[in-house]
Parts: sequence; structure tokens; C-alpha cells
Amino acid sequence: MTAEANATVFIVDDDQAMRTSLQWLIESTGMSVKTYDSADAFLADYYPGRAGCLLLDVRMPGMSGLELQAYLAREGFRIPVILITGHGDVAMAVRAMKAGAMDFIEKPFHDEDLLRSLRNALDHDQKTRANRLARADIARRLAELTPREHEVMAMVTDGKSNKEIAAALGVSAKTVEAHRARVMEKMRAESLAELVRMALIAAPEALV
Amino acid sequence: MPWIAIVVGLATGIAVWTVLDQIQTRQVDKIFGQELQVQLDLRARESLIRFDRYLSSYAATTRLLANYRKLSEYLEPLFWSDDEAIEPVVYKDFRPQWLPDFFERDALTPPSHVLLTDAYGRVREVFQAGSQAVPTEIADQAPTQWLDRHDVRTVIDRLDERLYLITSDAAEDAGGYHMGYLVVLVPVDATFMVASQRGIDIERAAVALVDSDEQRILASLDPRVIGLDSTLSDWSETHVITSQSLPEYEGSDSNLLFATFVPQSRVEKMSRHVRIFERRQRFYAAAVFVIVFTGLIYLVSSRLNRVLKRMTRFSQRALGIPEPGFQRGGNQLVLLEDWIQHFTQLVLRAREEMSRRHQAAMRESEALKAAMMEASLDAIVTLDHSGRVIEYNPSAERLFGVGRPFALGAVFVERFLPDVARPAFKRLLDRSRHRHREPLGRGELIALNADGGEIPVEISIAPIERVGERFFTLYIHDISSRKQAEQEIKSLARFASESPHPILRVNAAGLIVYANNASRPLLRAWNADPGEPLPEDWGTAVAAALETAQPLERELEAGGQVYSLLLAPIRDLGYVNLYARDITAVRRAEQESRQHQAELVHVCRLSTMGEVATGMAHELNQPLSAIVNYANGCVRRLQGGQGQPEELVGAMTQITAQAKRASEIIKRLRALVGKQPPARAEVDLNHLVREVCSFLEFETSRVGVAIELELSGEAIPVCVDLVQVEQVLLNLVGNALDALEERPESERRLRIRTELEDDWAHVEVADSGPGIDPEHLKRLFDPFVTTKEGGMGMGLAISQTIVENHEGRIWAESVLGQGSTFHLRLPLAPPVRDDAGTRADVLEPID
Repeated sequence: MTAEANATVFIVDDDQAMRTSLQWLIESTGMSVKTYDSADAFLADYYPGRAGCLLLDVRMPGMSGLELQAYLAREGFRIPVILITGHGDVAMAVRAMKAGAMDFIEKPFHDEDLLRSLRNALDHDQKTRANRLARADIARRLAELTPREHEVMAMVTDGKSNKEIAAALGVSAKTVEAHRARVMEKMRAESLAELVRMALIAAPEALV
Repeated sequence: MPWIAIVVGLATGIAVWTVLDQIQTRQVDKIFGQELQVQLDLRARESLIRFDRYLSSYAATTRLLANYRKLSEYLEPLFWSDDEAIEPVVYKDFRPQWLPDFFERDALTPPSHVLLTDAYGRVREVFQAGSQAVPTEIADQAPTQWLDRHDVRTVIDRLDERLYLITSDAAEDAGGYHMGYLVVLVPVDATFMVASQRGIDIERAAVALVDSDEQRILASLDPRVIGLDSTLSDWSETHVITSQSLPEYEGSDSNLLFATFVPQSRVEKMSRHVRIFERRQRFYAAAVFVIVFTGLIYLVSSRLNRVLKRMTRFSQRALGIPEPGFQRGGNQLVLLEDWIQHFTQLVLRAREEMSRRHQAAMRESEALKAAMMEASLDAIVTLDHSGRVIEYNPSAERLFGVGRPFALGAVFVERFLPDVARPAFKRLLDRSRHRHREPLGRGELIALNADGGEIPVEISIAPIERVGERFFTLYIHDISSRKQAEQEIKSLARFASESPHPILRVNAAGLIVYANNASRPLLRAWNADPGEPLPEDWGTAVAAALETAQPLERELEAGGQVYSLLLAPIRDLGYVNLYARDITAVRRAEQESRQHQAELVHVCRLSTMGEVATGMAHELNQPLSAIVNYANGCVRRLQGGQGQPEELVGAMTQITAQAKRASEIIKRLRALVGKQPPARAEVDLNHLVREVCSFLEFETSRVGVAIELELSGEAIPVCVDLVQVEQVLLNLVGNALDALEERPESERRLRIRTELEDDWAHVEVADSGPGIDPEHLKRLFDPFVTTKEGGMGMGLAISQTIVENHEGRIWAESVLGQGSTFHLRLPLAPPVRDDAGTRADVLEPID
């Protein structure tokens, strides 16, 4: 069990028997479960960033599983989605996978398959959320820099020396020194290497 | 008379003999002479070469002796001083150790003496083989011209009046010091000569050495034949002698010749053989000529005799002349001229007689012809090669209104034909010349009468070839009345040809007699032209129409169009007129509406069934999945030892509840069919079957099977829910098709039979599929019993429910491996009170 303790499996299914039976099954492995009888009920309760994954029935009255999946993607909620499909809904499952679902499981299913799929989803969720948190943290620190400090940081992480930066910005080397010290402080970087790593996490496209 | 043949043959033979005697004999002699000379020369040269080679072997042996190791070892301790008193050491009867016996071994005549001299040629040691002492000339000193420090010397010379072969070579001691010479003397006598010529037949030729100055024989191969000391001229009479000079042997005083003797008698004998052979050849040639010519002449004359006899017989029969015979006996070749003369006279006489008879016949025929001309109803005009009229009969006068005197000599074309008709007339003239073509120049033209009025006429032209000239006889028939009638008929016929609908006429044999323009598509479809027969099935239809004298209606698809054909027989004339009508548009409209309906119903039915199946699967999946989840959850808890009993009991209760839910769903489904409100209508069961077949057209063609329908002749009225009964039938036929798919295509058969049995309507659906095993057959109509992959096993169960709701019965029979038959029995509808006779054909729309 690598998933976080507060990770939750959200089950959305209109069929009450299905819902409680799934809860019964999943809780037997120690995961915490929350159930909803419709997509709307789930959306009312859910807030972004909650650790966990979503187990969705494809066929539901009101907002269907696929619609809910599309809605979440549109809103930028990155919670992993596993779909449960009935017999003969393979075409629908393919569509779901194309829309970015983690997995789909066909009823009637083998309990091991479902549980393995859930664990994968939770692992994945944990990783992406950790990544996202780190990036948000760095972004917050970057926001504290002044425009001049931004420039200095870009050049420093580009591998330029203080003198080169001073020449490029038309200021004295001492001034650059001062800016640089402030950047390190604000970014809470212990070393230049750490600063470069932060720059890369903040803007992975700069790697290219 | 074969004696002439024999004489000619003999004469030829003698001539051949004489000529060959003159030419061949002389030629043979010449060739023989030349060949003999060549042979002799060759023999002589060969003998000389042998002799020379024999001498060479002595040289070789001498060199061997001079360089013999023991000799050099022997010489090693010796030194012969220059001024030493010379007395040669002579070995008699035994060999000194330096002289091995090489000569015997090499099959050479052994030498009489071997001398060992010092470097100045003084004789130091002598080996003497016989009693003969060393010849005096050489006893003390060997002549220096015979010695050579560097090479072997070979000389033939006379010593003490005897001929010797002397060979010498330098000898050295073991230290390589030149000590002197080894000289070998061999007497050249008969033994020597025989040895030199070993392998030669002495009988045939002898050889001798001759002193060229005195022409004296010094050594001979066989002194008994060619005696010593005789001269060559003694032998020139009896032998053919070839003398050749010996190759140069330096140092010899004698000038020697090598002579070869071939006895004259041998040459004579050979010459005689050749001559006898030649004469025999000549005789054979002459004899062959005698036989061939005798036979040839005999064959020719007998052949000629037969030809003449045949000619005689033929002319007797053909010309009726008496036999031209031979007046006297003798060979046919000799008498041929007489015969021909006689024959010619007879033929001439016969010809005169015939000519006389022919003229009489001609006169008679002229009179007949004149009578014909006079009496003919048609105008007869004869033209000469320039087209002028030279004969003109009374009918022509009447036709053209021109009198004979005016017509004669006129150019026919200008006088009697208008401009338009002239080229056509020319063509007729041309065509008439080709006699092989039938009919001859014959055609219809417009002629002019005396007033310039046009008369339609039919002209037939017969050309008459006379010597150097050609005439044309024109038979001219007035066809004005016929033309008029024809035009009348043609205008009537245009009715048909102008019709926009195809109209055809076919005779009793099925041949198309007439077809108007509009009937082209039909002709194309039949692949027939006017004058050709109709396809077989249409031929029988035509025959049927003629037979019954009743009009028939048929349909035909041609080039994408559909035609309705009315076959109207005209019995008297043995024709059938075909009137066709294009009904494509009508048909298409009908077809389209029917197809639409069928497709609609088909789609409707399939989707309904599909939905039921999917819905049911989903419905059942829910409780089943829930049961599985509860059960798995329980297992995991129990395994982990964490489940509280009351908790587990709750889950178990849920399992029971879900299982009940599943069975409720199935119950509901079964009830579904029965619960539908009855929507019954009266309908012909045959019609239902046909409709079901049309629903399944797609499937049947996919499976590649044609449904065999055996429907009862009369309508089978039943009062049923159309949709439900159709569903049952669809189910049965669909099952049958599925079963057939497991069979090879050639063995797929599907038969549907309907019949009336008392108060029951009966349908039978029989397939040639793999059949159902008996164990399975018993439970066939139970729900969820299926043999098909992916099948639900509901089809037959539902069908049974439906049939039972209709107070009917459904059952199956099957023989494993041969197919299955499903029977469906429904009660007949009660007799109808209203009198709508076509009720069976009226079908309520299905939705």
C-alpha cells in the first residue's frame, strides 16, 4: 500500500446494490470509499486536489459516466477515472479510454482485476499530485521576484557569469551580486544547482 | 517384241566396255606406276633410316664404354710415355676388366676388336674377340682422322679388304686426364646387315652397301641372293634397285651407297592383280548397263503399247471411229508414226461427220427460238456488245410502243431508259457477266415508252458468249400493277414499324419474321436478329400460344427494362404477333414500395430483439455483479480475520436479495411476451411465410441457400397476432440458417411446407443442418438452453409461449447428422361470414 492514507475511492453508480457491494468489496482491502448515486451528487461533494480515484458506471440516468469524465477533463480536474461497463458496451469503453480514462472494467469482473486497477490509479494520482504541488510551490516563489530579479535568475540558470550579466543589463557586477543573493533567498535555494532544478520544474518546456 | 530391247541393251553394254577399256585401263596403269614408285622410295628410305640408327647405337655404346668407370679406374695408375717402345698388349679369349659386354645386351653384333690407344693414337691394348688379328692398317697406330678429342667418330671403311665399322671416343682416367681413345671395330658382313634391318621381311626386299665408284656390292643382307662383289648392273634386270648415298661418315676413304633391292617378280605380281581387278569391274559395269537398258526399253515399249490401246478404245467410244490398228507387226516405238497417221485420218473424218450433224441441229433450234420470241409474254430484246438492239420481239413492241424497224440498231440505254435508271442498268450488265452468281443480272428498273411515260419493269439479263463477241438477251417484264400493290402493303406495314412499342412477328418454327425498330432491346436480350430463332423458352411459349389459339401474356427483362409481352396467335397463317409494352417504371415503383416495407419491418424487428437482449443482459449484470462483489468482500474479510459476524450476515442477506432480484428479472421477461394485449387479425398463413422469407432474404443469400417453399395450394386462414407469429417463424428459420452455416455450402437445404390438416394449420421448417442430439432435444424449449455461441436460449422458449397463447403447439424432430424439422400447428380461423374472397391477400400494415 503505497497510496496515501487519506486517498479515497469515489464510487458513482445509480444502482444502490452495485454501489454498496463495491464499497463492501473495496473496504475489505482497507481503502476508504465514498459512494454517490449520481454524477451531480459527486460534483457537489468533490473539490479539486482531493487524493483518490473515481470509479464510474458508464450507464447512469442524468449525467452519464462519460459525460462526467468529459466534464472533469474540461475543468482541469486530474483525478484518475476507471469506468465500469456493462456487457456489450465495448465501443463506449474505447471512447472512454481515448478521452483519457485510466482503465475500464467489464461487468461481471474479477475482483483482483478491479483492485489492481484501483491501486494503479491511486499510485498514479499520488505521483501527479506531488508533482503538481511542487510546481505550484515554485510558481508561488517565482511570483515574489521582481522583473529584474527574473531576468537575473534566467541568466544565472542559463550559466552566465556575474560579469556577463552586468554587461548585458548595463549595471555593475556588485549590483548583480546583490540581485543574485536576493533571488537565492526568495527562491529558498541552497545552491545554484537547486535553483536550476527549480527553473526546470517551473518551465519544463525550457528543456527542449 | 523383247529382242529389240535385248539388242539395244547389248549395244550399250559393248559401248560401255569399249569406252572404259580406252580410258580406265590407261588411267589405272598410270596410277599404279606412281603408287609403286612412292612405295619403293618409302621402303628404301625406311631401310636407310634403320641402318643409320643402327650405326648410331654403336656410337652410343662406344661412348658408354669410353666413359666406363672401370676403364677410368684402370687408366688411373697408368702413364704411357711418349717415347716408350710400343708393343700393344693383346687380350685373346678373355675380356680385360675395363671392357664389359654392352654389345650383346643391346642386341648389337659384337665387335671383332676393341683397341685402347694413347693420346697420340698409338695402340696400347687390344681385345681380340675371334681368331682374326687386328687389321694391319690399324695394328700400331690408329689414323688420326678417325679420332676426335671431343666427339664420337663413326666410320665405315675397308681394312684388309674387309668392310669394318670403326667407332672411337676419347678415354680419360679417374682424375679427368686425357689418356687416349677407345676404338671399336665391327666387321660389316651379312650378320651385321641382317641385324641392322631387323623386323624387315627379307623376302620382299634386300639391302646392300655398294662401292659407288665401281658399282660393286661390298656387303649384302643375304649374300645367297645378292652375291658379294657382283655389280649393280647384274641385278637391274631382275630387281628394282633404289640407291641412296649414306649420310656423311667423315674419315672414310670409301665412297659408299646404300642400295635397296625389290624383286621384279613381286612388282609384276602386284601389277597383275590390279589389272585383273580392273577388268572385273569393267565387266560388271557393262553387264549392269545391258540389264538396265534392256529392262528400260522393254518397259517403255510395253507402256507405250498400253497407252496406244487405251487411246484407241477411248477414241472408238468418243468419236465412233474404227480401230486404228497396226498394219504390220513390230516394236511399238518403230511403228508409232504409222499409227499416229492412221489415227489422225480417222479423227478428221469423224469430226467432219459431227460438224454436219451439229449444223442441222442448230437450224432446228433457231426455228424454235424464233417461235419462243414471237410467243413470249415478256418483252425480249437482244443487244450486241456495244448495247445496240439486234433482236426485238412483238411483246417488246407492245411494251415500249416502238415498232421493230425503229428499235433495231438503236442504243437500248438511250432509247428506252431514263437517266436515273442507266447506272443501275450498267450494274446489272456487269453483274450478269459473273456467271457463277445467282441470280444473274436481275433487278427492277424504270423504263420509258414511246411517249416518254415511265414503266416499272423487272429486267433479267442473260449474257451470251460467242466467238470474239458478247451478246445480252434482256427479258423485260412489266411490273406496274405489282408495284402498286406492294406500295399499298408497305404503307400498311408502316403501322407496325412506326409504333413506339415493340411489335414482332414469329412463325410456328420460332423464327422472327418481322421486328419493328422499337423492338431492338428485345432482340438484343434474345441475342437474335430478324430471320433467326427465338430463345428456346420463348419458342415454346409461341408454340403454346399457337396450340391453344389463346393470347398469352409474359414478362421479359431486357437491358434493365421490364416488358410485358402479349403473344397474339394467328392460327391460319401460323404466326404469332408479339405486342410489347415497357412496364419498367410501374414495376420499379411496385418493387420499391415493397422493398421499403420489407426493410422497415426487418430493421424494426431486429432492433427490438436486440434491445431486449442488451437490456436484459444489463439488467442481469447488475445483481450478478453485486452478488460477486459481496461474496468477494466476505471472502477477503474472513481471510483477513477482520469481519464482524453481524457485518458479514448483512452482506450475505444482500447476496440473497440480489439473487432474488435476478430471478425477478427473468420472470418479468418471460411474462413480458404473455402480457402483451392480443392484437389478432385473420391472415393467410402462406402469406406470413412468404413475408418472413422476404425478411430473411439478406440472411439466406449470405448463407447461400435458397428456401424451398412448398406452400399449400389453397389459402390457410388463421387468426393470430401477426408480429408474434412472424417472430416465431423468424426464429425457426433463423435457427435453421444458423444450423446450415455449419454445413458445406453444397449440402445446405432449407424447406418450408404449409398445409391444411382438418382444423389445423401446419407449418414445417426443415433444414439439412447437423441436427440436435436426443438429450438436448428433450429440453429444447426450456429457457436458457442453447447450442449457439452467444445465444441466450430464449428464442424457442419465447416461441413456445407465443404458440401456446395461440392454442397451438410447437415441437421438433431431429436426426443427428441429417437435419432437424420444426413443426408449428395453429388452429384455423373460424369460417368468415362476410364474403371478401381476397381477404388472404389483404395484410394489415405491421408496425
